[in-house]
Amino acid sequence: MFNWFKKRSSAATYTNEEWIQHLTPPPLEAAILKLRSFLLNGLKAALYKNVDRGLDDFVQDIAQDALLKILDKLDTFRGESKFTTWAMKIAVREGYTELRKKRYQDISLEQHSSYHPENKEAVEIEHEQPGPDQLTHESMMVQKVMKIMEEELTDKQQKVLQHLMIEQVPMTVVAEIMDSNRNAMYKLVHDARLKLKNRLEVEGISPEEVLEQM
Amino acid sequence: MTLNKEILKKLVSAIPMTHPDELGCGDCFEQINEFAEMELLGKSAEKAMPLVREHLNRCGECREEYQSLLKALKKLKIYS
Ligand SMILES: [Zn+2]
Repeated sequence: MFNWFKKRSSAATYTNEEWIQHLTPPPLEAAILKLRSFLLNGLKAALYKNVDRGLDDFVQDIAQDALLKILDKLDTFRGESKFTTWAMKIAVREGYTELRKKRYQDISLEQHSSYHPENKEAVEIEHEQPGPDQLTHESMMVQKVMKIMEEELTDKQQKVLQHLMIEQVPMTVVAEIMDSNRNAMYKLVHDARLKLKNRLEVEGISPEEVLEQM
Repeated sequence: MTLNKEILKKLVSAIPMTHPDELGCGDCFEQINEFAEMELLGKSAEKAMPLVREHLNRCGECREEYQSLLKALKKLKIYS
């Protein structure tokens, strides 16, 4: 009964202006509670498939950390969407950042004794000797592009690509390893792609041609 | 030596979609709440913000977060 009344008291009913007003220090206790419960419910719906055990504890921690971030960044909200949508995106990112770090820790612990990605593949493939029949125009082109890639990419780019593409480390975690952030990691890979693209254009080599030979 | 043919293959495969104006994860995150709102209101987010769509297609981590954000917003019935 009186469903419309219940609905009016939900988190969605503050206007953006009210949210900002109520959360600006000193924040209104009721607004904090409302936002926290809103984040908790959203996070549960967003993450339940990704967390096997202890979902409640996990989202409690995430909601708390996200809440602090939201309050801290309040003055960067520019009203392009509902405030709650903006707040929720911060909480979701917080959740995934933690999940990815945790997942990667688990994996590296498991693989610690037997898996040394730095030495894998790179060595094997580099020393692969083609038989006389295989040393064709095509494989020479692949080798040429390999050489171009070595010339064009910085050590840092190479290292990041190794983590991302060979060791399959999530970008969020690579950013942590490199003491950087995800945006910078994306840009670094983007620059690598762009450099290679430009250089292949100069050399008159099409990407499709290279892929056909691989 | 850290480069190998696996990396080469992945980089070269991504070249046709590579261009100087791509958004990074930070730009995408900046705009994703607006993008999600348009999507849930049935407005054409992809047309209004094509670079965000493109980043989501390319970046698995941003895409995963976006899909979860939609799930959360639907559950909370913010736009219904
Ligand atoms: Zn991204």
